[in-house]
Amino acid sequence: MRRLSQRARIVSMAGAVSVLAAVLVPGMAQADSASPSSSTPRSVFTIGVLQDMDSANPFTGITSAAYEVFQMEYPTLVEYGAKDFAAVPGIADSWTEAPDHSSWTFKIHPGLKWSDGQPMTAKDVAYTYNRILNGKYEQTNFGSYVSAITKAEAPDDTTVILHTNSASPIVPHPGVYIIPEHIWKSIDEKAVVSFKNEGTPDAPSVAGGPYYMIERKVGQFIRMQANPYFWRGKPAVDEIDFKLFKNGDAMAQALKKGEIDFAEGLETNVYNSLKNQPNITTVAAAPASFNELSFNTGAALDDGTPIGDGNPLLKDKKLRAALAHAIDKQAMVDKILGGDGVPGDTLMPPRYSQWHVAPTNPMSYDPAKAKELLDAAGYKVGSDGIRADAQGNRLSFRLLGRTDSSTSQKAVQFIKGYLAAVGVETTVKFVSEDNLTEIIGQGKFDMFEWGWGVEPDPNYMLNVFTCANRSYKQDGAILANLSDSFYCNPAYDALNAKQQVETDLAKRQAITGQMQQMLYDDAPYIITYFYDGHEAYRSDRFTGLVHQPEPDGPLTFQWGTWTYEQMKPVTATDAGGTTNNSSGGSSVPWLPIIGGLIVAGGAGFLLARRRPANAASDDRE
Amino acid sequence: MTMTQPTIEDANAAALGARDVVKARRKASRTRFTASFRQNRSGMLGLTILLIFIAVAIAAFFIPASSLDVTQVTADPFLPPSLQWPLGTDDSGRSVLLLVAKGAQISLLVGFAATMLSMFIGTSVGIVSGHYRGMTGGVLDRFTDWFLVIPYLPLAIVLATVLGRSLLNIIIVIGVTSWPGTARLIRAQTLSVTARPYLERSKALGAGNLHQMWKHVLPNVMPLVLANTTLAVSISILSETTLSFLGLGDPTAISWGSILEQGFAAGAISQGAWWYLAAPGICVVLTVLAFNLIGRAIEDILDPRQETA
Repeated sequence: MRRLSQRARIVSMAGAVSVLAAVLVPGMAQADSASPSSSTPRSVFTIGVLQDMDSANPFTGITSAAYEVFQMEYPTLVEYGAKDFAAVPGIADSWTEAPDHSSWTFKIHPGLKWSDGQPMTAKDVAYTYNRILNGKYEQTNFGSYVSAITKAEAPDDTTVILHTNSASPIVPHPGVYIIPEHIWKSIDEKAVVSFKNEGTPDAPSVAGGPYYMIERKVGQFIRMQANPYFWRGKPAVDEIDFKLFKNGDAMAQALKKGEIDFAEGLETNVYNSLKNQPNITTVAAAPASFNELSFNTGAALDDGTPIGDGNPLLKDKKLRAALAHAIDKQAMVDKILGGDGVPGDTLMPPRYSQWHVAPTNPMSYDPAKAKELLDAAGYKVGSDGIRADAQGNRLSFRLLGRTDSSTSQKAVQFIKGYLAAVGVETTVKFVSEDNLTEIIGQGKFDMFEWGWGVEPDPNYMLNVFTCANRSYKQDGAILANLSDSFYCNPAYDALNAKQQVETDLAKRQAITGQMQQMLYDDAPYIITYFYDGHEAYRSDRFTGLVHQPEPDGPLTFQWGTWTYEQMKPVTATDAGGTTNNSSGGSSVPWLPIIGGLIVAGGAGFLLARRRPANAASDDRE
Repeated sequence: MTMTQPTIEDANAAALGARDVVKARRKASRTRFTASFRQNRSGMLGLTILLIFIAVAIAAFFIPASSLDVTQVTADPFLPPSLQWPLGTDDSGRSVLLLVAKGAQISLLVGFAATMLSMFIGTSVGIVSGHYRGMTGGVLDRFTDWFLVIPYLPLAIVLATVLGRSLLNIIIVIGVTSWPGTARLIRAQTLSVTARPYLERSKALGAGNLHQMWKHVLPNVMPLVLANTTLAVSISILSETTLSFLGLGDPTAISWGSILEQGFAAGAISQGAWWYLAAPGICVVLTVLAFNLIGRAIEDILDPRQETA
């Protein structure tokens, strides 16, 4: 599962410079260490993205971009199939559960190798699982997958036995990225916190998936090289580059001009402008991600020690639920997403129809009802128009948005407006996603706007709200865990424990449905909308991209690497000569050019004007 | 027009005290300045444009908050200019005309406030470094040099990133990055003023450093400060626009730069919504032009060499 934000814009110094640097790094695709000595020209597939990975360490990274790279690098035992998310073999050929539910046995494909040529065996798998089971930091991203597992062992190179304390639908499931023991054993539980795991041209990352990392420049690009030892066969495309853009328009132009081959996370306006362009195929994938308004429901460590400085008023679930009536989600879908999404309700997106539940008590947009509920809960409107409780504590909160995302900036404006309309004041501040992760982990917030890309199985997403997944203390420092609302409800935790061991699908659906309803009622999140995934690519250059699921799922940023493994460069009669500059004519961005000239002209005018002033002053008397 | 030396003779109506003499002289010079400015056509044009924008900024206080609240507007997004929406609508259906009017407030406010700060620092550093010749002056002068050679935009971006995004911070950022030019200018003028005989006389009469700087140097460099201020305002407004466009401004405040940024981020280019970007852009150009015309006119009037030419 991934913290997800589409349309990130880099606003930092590094970001601003990166735009220049991206232009000034023509050698990016050429300078290469281990290029294959085949006669065909080296094929590079460049994906334009708007969000960077936050860390290349799979125990640290949480953004979608990070997960995209992790799954290219690290195999899982079992994978989500391309067609319908059904479980298909990963590096495990088969998996069977002991009749007494005390263990699962996975048979690992024989003769596997890591990208550095070292053998990949059951020992690596056992090492990875044991590391997560015995680690605290390692559990942040992967703890939810191993809750029923007590121990992993590898009796031989092709057998892994996961000992379990009960039956579980989670164990035989993808999610844990298998890491190479020979690399990671030297990185202990302290070093892992700051381990970067970035590949360089001289020391590429050691991976078992279809690609390994050969270079990363923060805020600029990530380069992935095809793994010759990949067990399903070396991918046809030699290199996949992720190139960061700070603006969706610029990314769309780059796609039209052929600087990039694929554009991911396009905003509706920009996406619409790419429809019906020659050589470009567009994909609007049904939503598998949501954005939410999250509340600080009482920040505390996993042992219950309060932390942070959240406004205690937000501990009142009546207040939070009342605010859910104040927000017009449909208007946000129409105006922020241009209609390409659906209003949010419960946790699992409607795409996962197996798990999605409609709330029994839809909290629809009704400001009058919101006011009524707030009045009933004891928050009366004060003389300044802002509500306050009986003790006079005003409903005035800090609301954090993300500088990295233009949709976040818009969404926050809407939320502020809607809350103001029912007498709740918000002070908006924008921070980068990196900072926001930190601020959330320390509990120093009242509300924020962010989102999640949701895994097809509900386990991970539901685990985000457990008491145990709140922040924790290690060596005196508070480290963030998955929980970002600090929701803690023993009844919810009990249900979560039940869904983790319920192997009967219908019963598990009932439990997860109950949990989603519980979250809906208690409103640690107000899920604002589920949004479509917009992608576009150069169909004149690459073919064989795979939807997950068929027929309308996304082509990249999937739960797997199906597109990267199966796509091929289009081998036209002259593969080298088709540098497409075709469709650029009609859509030259005249405005920014003219705007730039005007500003430059203005600046030049100023400089020119200043000179006589300087010169004249010398001999004034 | 010929240059008439400030007439000591004006004061020869004997019994007037020294203060009255100064007052009379200043009044005369003000009148002369106003008259010359009136005759300067480009200066008057600049002043007219500026007054219009100031009027717009004041009028913008009367725009109801609801018409700029994304949750309360009802128009479609990206409507082209029409009678109902003279400058079209933005990506949330707000009137670009109202946005631009509201933006005038912040842009002018930041322009003026940052310039004041920059002028204050620049003038202080310039006078002090020109007045004290020894260590103090040298150190301040090198300090100015140092700031002068740092590329302005990267410094401003770094500062804005470190300080965070708010209105006050953007004023501080522009103020503390744009003063060295002024300091240089003022220092040169201070040097020339300090060399005048009457300062020597005043020194001989026992005037302290502060008295010399405050009573003699400052009034003499003031015209230069004034001319420089008008030019600096336009630089400040451009800087505010640039920084806001780069996403470093206060995201909750509507300024011309932030409108440009929002339009750019919202895909106004792909959408062909030229009005969304052109409106704030033209406002910036006009305001900068206005300040430059005024500054130029003031310079013409105050600079004796240009005047006699």
